[in-house]
Amino acid sequence: MKEKILNILGELRQYAINKGISAAFFYHEEDSYLMRFANSAISLNTNEHLVRLEITTYDGRKRAEYQMITDLNQVEQMKAGIDTAAEMMKHTQPLSYDPTIPLYTETYADESSYDQALAQLSNEEKLAYFNQAAEGLETGEITLSGIFSSGTNITAQINTRSEHTQYFKSSDAQVNLVLSHGAQKWEILAEQSAQQKADLDPAAVHSELAFLSHVYTTTVPQQIPVGTYDIVLGSAAIGDLLDLMNWIGFSGGMMKRGFSFTTQEQVGKPVFSEKFTLVDDPTRRETFPYKRDVSGIERKPFPLFTRGVFDGYTWVQDDADEYGAQPTGHTVMHKSLVLHCGDQPVDSLEALVSMPREKDLLYIPYLHYMNIVNPSRGLITGSSRFGALLLKKDGSVAVPFNVRLTQSLLDIFGEKLQWLSSTEKIANTSMSYGARNPKAIVLPAFIRVNGLEISHSNSAF
Amino acid sequence: MINELKQQIERLRNAGATYVDARWYPLEESSDLTMWNGNLKNATASRESGVGVRVLYKGAWGFSASSDISQLAGLFDKAFDNARVAAERVTFPVRLAEKDAIQASFTSPNEIDPFTVELSEKVDFLKEMDSLMNQSGVVQRASGMTFMKKQIIFVDSEGSEIEKKIIEVFPAIQVMGVDAQGVTHTRKYQPGRIGATRGWETMDRKLFTDNAARIVKELNEVLVAEDCPRDTRSVILLPGIMFLQTHETIGHALELDRILGYELAYAGGSFVRLEDFGKLQYGSSKLTARADATLPNTPGSFGYDDDGIPAQNNLLIDKGLLVGAITGRQMVEEANAKARKPIFNGSGGANRATSFYRVPIERMTNINIDFGTDGTLDDIVKNTEKGVILDGEKSWSIGSNREQFHFATDIGWVVEDGEVKHVVKNATYRGETVKFYNSLTAVGDESTWEVQYVDNCGKGQPNQVMQLGHGVPVCRFDNVTIGE
Ligand SMILES: [Zn+2]
Repeated sequence: MKEKILNILGELRQYAINKGISAAFFYHEEDSYLMRFANSAISLNTNEHLVRLEITTYDGRKRAEYQMITDLNQVEQMKAGIDTAAEMMKHTQPLSYDPTIPLYTETYADESSYDQALAQLSNEEKLAYFNQAAEGLETGEITLSGIFSSGTNITAQINTRSEHTQYFKSSDAQVNLVLSHGAQKWEILAEQSAQQKADLDPAAVHSELAFLSHVYTTTVPQQIPVGTYDIVLGSAAIGDLLDLMNWIGFSGGMMKRGFSFTTQEQVGKPVFSEKFTLVDDPTRRETFPYKRDVSGIERKPFPLFTRGVFDGYTWVQDDADEYGAQPTGHTVMHKSLVLHCGDQPVDSLEALVSMPREKDLLYIPYLHYMNIVNPSRGLITGSSRFGALLLKKDGSVAVPFNVRLTQSLLDIFGEKLQWLSSTEKIANTSMSYGARNPKAIVLPAFIRVNGLEISHSNSAF
Repeated sequence: MINELKQQIERLRNAGATYVDARWYPLEESSDLTMWNGNLKNATASRESGVGVRVLYKGAWGFSASSDISQLAGLFDKAFDNARVAAERVTFPVRLAEKDAIQASFTSPNEIDPFTVELSEKVDFLKEMDSLMNQSGVVQRASGMTFMKKQIIFVDSEGSEIEKKIIEVFPAIQVMGVDAQGVTHTRKYQPGRIGATRGWETMDRKLFTDNAARIVKELNEVLVAEDCPRDTRSVILLPGIMFLQTHETIGHALELDRILGYELAYAGGSFVRLEDFGKLQYGSSKLTARADATLPNTPGSFGYDDDGIPAQNNLLIDKGLLVGAITGRQMVEEANAKARKPIFNGSGGANRATSFYRVPIERMTNINIDFGTDGTLDDIVKNTEKGVILDGEKSWSIGSNREQFHFATDIGWVVEDGEVKHVVKNATYRGETVKFYNSLTAVGDESTWEVQYVDNCGKGQPNQVMQLGHGVPVCRFDNVTIGE
């Protein structure tokens, strides 16, 4: 398959050269499977095999792009796409800067993130995983929802500047299981991310769900007062917060366009707590890493914040071209974010619950429907969901109805950050809008943030 | 091709499938242009084609899609295999509400196919808008247009054959500026329904010119404005935010699949329960909401849904009382069975898929609020003692059961003693859905009613985006928390 793909890319390149067209080609192929559960049944079992090709043509400062969902038998259609992009380009207008066409100096292929056993997991194996992870936890009232999403992702690039190609192949799985109570409407969640089949561990998911389910079925949920709480965030919540930070925190282009809470003057200065160290680390296989970016730049660990100090912006090629910056190897479908762990020994929710505490702690595993209220201030809002707990200082545990948190990332990861757990977790933050793009963040299983305000508290689930 | 699809459908029926349909997209085209500070950053065209096959077997769904239509039998087999495995875990076997077999076609109204317009003309339009917005106070300006054109052929095992040809046009312009505190503010203009058709002819220069001037002026007012106070007062929502309020807390809350728990792994549920239909006072008596897919010329009107059900106009909330939902064939059967009474009389015709490679799910059509009898915006302001007028969606965050929400808007105007006083920035408001709609105390007349488009509603797994509409008037709600 790899041969066929690269041969076709070579043929397209030659076609463009013969016509005197400068062009870059980005190939994306996905084989996607998703088994979806709802009301304790498989509500949908689906798969898609899609081939996408993006053709960008250049003429000095002019640029146009043609994208297609096609298949490998449609080479003539692809060639027609080159002609269309070249024709469009005549009618565009020049940019105010020179766009760079990457120069690949060697042919590069990376299939180290691909595990055939995971990619070709059978329907029966996925169903067996779910059955094991939920075993004994469903009742007439408590039903199972969730997804088992898995697949193969191939990306490849070539352009008219050289005959060299880049090729990347990865396998991934994103699993989540939700138990919900029909009448009481509570919901609890456990998630797992896998890059290879050996990462799948239904027993771990089962044990998380079983613990939460026990607490939720034996405790009467309550509305908690609004006000200030010391909050422990779980891995899914931390992952989504870092995903937002990736958007408005350290992207050079976003900063230049006014959508960032950091400024150029802050580079080299403390922005967050000194407990906060964030790296883009493509050596971590769990992040489905790209070891080269689309510009052909070799990707190495790239510090973003070191002990709270802002190390600098990431630049994708086009923003770097526009704003006169150096590209940093971040012209990729996703980064490989790793938030360093701390020294708090807490390796599971059970351990967190049984930890001695000097005051009440609000545990929020997940923040639903987060949005950016004010990018310049890093202000975000979202609501707790999926298994929050109020850990009382007397050692008892209460179940709170969902609450809303409207806070700045500068506060959450700033001076209020109390500790990070020494145990690591993987938060899979993939979405399936558009082309398959598996991504995950390596992070502490828990972080504690003191003195965050709850602005709204529900009176029911 | 249609005959081959029919043969494959027949083959699976004979092999034991209870229902089969296929959606063939011979060609879907789109085009995206984005200009940022005078740079044409994005000039993209795209095409896709393929087939999606849905199979119901022993009460369970299987789906398969491919852009490679040379292996049709294999594609149908895969969908059937997927259904066979799904049938190993069934709790409520899927049943589909009765429908008539239909042979029909639908074409969305347009005068000028935007794909026939020269690219240079489109670029010129953006350049013109860009230079109009290049004014003092504006540090970033963006303009863009998206065009879509799709042909969909639907064939099912019950004898329906429907062809749809749909064109969409989604333009937008926006300006940004930075205030003295270093905070970025935005004003934008996104036209909704402005005529009887939605082709290139809707790119009306005068309309865009007027609105470009307006958003530049309003941005400059925001940049020097004081912060929105932290307070409890009336909010007067203009259509530029009322559409999203409606979308998030009426539309999504009343999708029957959410109510029945089919979205719990991702989008969330709904505070609405089956026993609430005909009983829950969702809002004050001034609130009448409907799902109207018959409203001419909006992305929420598409002739026939992807179950092959004709467009309908259904009441959702009648003078405050909850009476209906956004429904498709599968969910109405399950809801009626679970409620042990007929709540829904057949499918509401709202099952739609975003592309050939996604399965249809319940989607908003045009979720509209009927205009009221409380006069013009000026009349409503005159009758407001202490309030704030809000416009422009900036951020939105909603509880997982749509029971509470937090919105930020691009601009606010403080109202005191029946008069507009001054502009405020960083305006936000939040509330609890049922309490909020029951505090609806004024609904503007027809002069305030506008149809706004949504081009990016996300839902489902695998994820899907959908285009739809909201016809909404100016609405006033009392005792609302603002400024948090
Ligand atoms: Zn939506």
